[in-house]
Amino acid sequence: MLSRRRFLRTSSVVSLSPLLPSVFTKTAYAAGNESDAKTLVVIQLDGGNDGLNTVVPFGDDEYARARNKLRLPADKLHKLDDYVGLHPSMRAAKELFDDGRLSIVQGVGYPNPDRSHFRSMKIWQTASFENADHDGYGWLGRALDAKPKVSSPAVAPGAIYVGDQETPVALWGRRSQATALSREEDLRLLLNPAFHSEPSSAQDDSLNDFVSRQTLSAVAASEEFNRQQKQTAGSVSSYPNTGLGRRLRLISQVLKGKSQARVYYTAQSGYDTHQAQLYTHSRLLQEFSDAVKAFLDDIKSAKLDDRVVVLAFSEFGRRVKENNSLGTDHGTAGPVFLAGAPVAGGLLGTAPDLANLDDGDLRTQVDFRRIYSTLLSDWLDIDAASVLAGTHKKLPLLCRG
Amino acid sequence: MLNPQTSIWAPYRPSESAPWNLKRVVHLHRRAAFAAPWDVLQRDLVDGPRAAVDRLLKGDESPAFESMAQTIGEAAMVSGSPGRLKAWWVYRMLMSPDPLGERLTLMWHNHFATSNRKVQDLVLMREQNDLLRKQARAPFGELLTAVVKHPAMLAWLDADSNRKGHPNENLARELLELFTLGVGNYSETDVKGAARALTGWTIVGGRFAYREARHDIGEIDLFGTQGPLTGDGLLEQLLNHPGTSKRLAWRICQTFLGEDVVTRAALDELADGLAERELNIGWAVETVLRSRLFFSIENMRSRVLGPTEYVVGVLRALELREPPPSTLVLAEWASRMGQDLFYPPNVGGWNEGRAWLATRTVVARANFADALVSGRLWRPAREPEPDALVHRHSQLDKLAEHVNWLAKLLWGECPEEATAPIVKAARSAEAPLPKALALLLTRPEHSLA
Repeated sequence: MLSRRRFLRTSSVVSLSPLLPSVFTKTAYAAGNESDAKTLVVIQLDGGNDGLNTVVPFGDDEYARARNKLRLPADKLHKLDDYVGLHPSMRAAKELFDDGRLSIVQGVGYPNPDRSHFRSMKIWQTASFENADHDGYGWLGRALDAKPKVSSPAVAPGAIYVGDQETPVALWGRRSQATALSREEDLRLLLNPAFHSEPSSAQDDSLNDFVSRQTLSAVAASEEFNRQQKQTAGSVSSYPNTGLGRRLRLISQVLKGKSQARVYYTAQSGYDTHQAQLYTHSRLLQEFSDAVKAFLDDIKSAKLDDRVVVLAFSEFGRRVKENNSLGTDHGTAGPVFLAGAPVAGGLLGTAPDLANLDDGDLRTQVDFRRIYSTLLSDWLDIDAASVLAGTHKKLPLLCRG
Repeated sequence: MLNPQTSIWAPYRPSESAPWNLKRVVHLHRRAAFAAPWDVLQRDLVDGPRAAVDRLLKGDESPAFESMAQTIGEAAMVSGSPGRLKAWWVYRMLMSPDPLGERLTLMWHNHFATSNRKVQDLVLMREQNDLLRKQARAPFGELLTAVVKHPAMLAWLDADSNRKGHPNENLARELLELFTLGVGNYSETDVKGAARALTGWTIVGGRFAYREARHDIGEIDLFGTQGPLTGDGLLEQLLNHPGTSKRLAWRICQTFLGEDVVTRAALDELADGLAERELNIGWAVETVLRSRLFFSIENMRSRVLGPTEYVVGVLRALELREPPPSTLVLAEWASRMGQDLFYPPNVGGWNEGRAWLATRTVVARANFADALVSGRLWRPAREPEPDALVHRHSQLDKLAEHVNWLAKLLWGECPEEATAPIVKAARSAEAPLPKALALLLTRPEHSLA
């Protein structure tokens, strides 16, 4: 028998690297001059954020009438104009707003809203209303599959998902790969998998080839991440010690490590506030705005701020009227946030009119696909029409240039 | 009964083209029972499919196991640590003489996905789990009623704050969308009606209670009819709705059959059979596990093994249960592979299938294999001895033969293209067979069952 120590020493480091076809590594993580490319960081607010208590229309008399118990007092809000103000716990977001680094699009949704968390989230993630599409490819997966409008080295740049759950359908593409991680150790391979043959072709859909592809991609991702970590050792920044804070910190590490990925995706869960909403919601919004502010400041000090735009959305807003459990039930439209140096800053769209509702719910003012369309074509340089199956009028979300 | 000549679900009978061989025995155990050790495989190989499936369906009992599980469960409650609760269930899956019962419990955990993230009560989570186990093969009506009236579910979906005049639709919506009918079988009006029917249901002193004064006695719109409706009346209607038998048939096929194996017609036939038998789950599970379709070539290695199945299965197959590895550590590995027990991602549960294999989770599978062979699953660490296992069951002595034997134990066959390079790579390692074992576990043959 081998001694345990001797065994451990050998078992974890025996390299099987010749088994990884180098050509695959190059396809998935090509070394090109892509590290200065523009990137999009998406934060998904899971559970249906109560937009009305996030960007609060204190100037609308109906607000106080509909929100008897959950009403936020106007003098505590961070006023954005003489009609709406941010939730009291969003001080950091207000600082970003004043700094011109936050754009808020009001009343965002889609026609005939679905109040199922799953279907609505799938609609946002796939930009499709067909159930049949909802297990297929996501809007960002399709975007990463598409060729950039401006020609650049022909690579599939990929996306990174940071979180504990499955990779969201938003990132599923036909060719592009999403890397998922929740902490640094997640990408450190101790045992190089036994791979001896390339999948028969990149287009093959057989389950066996799928497993082969995923394994090869994992090996490549692990090597890439280790390389990045060596480059960024020692950089420190102050982030709130919250789930979202830690995830955005990891994204920043990866970004600073000159990752090739164009899209980063994470989520903050807990917005499904059917009852006792006030405290929970306040905590969530503070976590959200503090983490985003810390991230953007970090990115700025690393001089990467002209490369990063943050998009934050939720699958739907809440009913205007509170329920009797000190909470709110599933509703329709809500605000969408865009943050970062490249955004135009300010309020877009019109504040919700609470006197003009659709069966107790907010009317959608802005189709979310207009935001996607703007980001795809003006930020990621991708033909939005092909990704979104149709044209959607763009919005003035970004600074010129 | 199903017509054995024409039914898609006709029972499997060994034949020259579809012999009862090791491959089929391994397939049965990997899909239905987290895999099995060599002796069990050999016994079933001799006894034939009928006896093999019989034994799984019936399960065995062991007072010693139950008493140990009970002790571990109670210690978990006292500790207040969710990790200990997960470890308790992993212990059950690893050691239970009724592995199919545990597999079905896992299936129901995904169907009635409830997260302790919100329930925040280990006692309730364990009670719900025991309930899923106890009713795992029961008529679905009994299971559904017990689960939706259990305080874990009531708390998870805010039933306690749904009352007359102030509906909270959370439970109603998920009841229709996920637990019974499925999308496409109901309207928004039905959700609103169901929420009103469920008013009055609440939790009093940690138990289900019906508060008549909170119940909405008005006319309720449901599936196009109007009238007063109670929560129980609603459940009855849902159980009789064809959508429910279809969704159940789908759930069972999703658990036991692979990708692209089940046709619309097969699902419909199983759903019809369920509807005729008061949604008897035990009947459906038996029908599937005995079927020709289940043992068909296209159903083999066509399903991505879930994280818990992956972790528990390899330990069962390799006889690594004595002394048992740390089930706390095993639960943690399953979580890194994407399945955090008692914490499903949302009420829809885990997506399963290809979604199990993301970069991080593939890395976790490989690192788990490394942790296994280097003994890090045990506290204190203890290296498994695959050489000893091989020698216990065979007279083989060459490394290549040992690797092939392990492949047969794990996959029911030893495809040359998979094992030959592994033998080559392991030969130069200081501990060749453990190295080869770890590499076998990273093969697609091992993630697909």
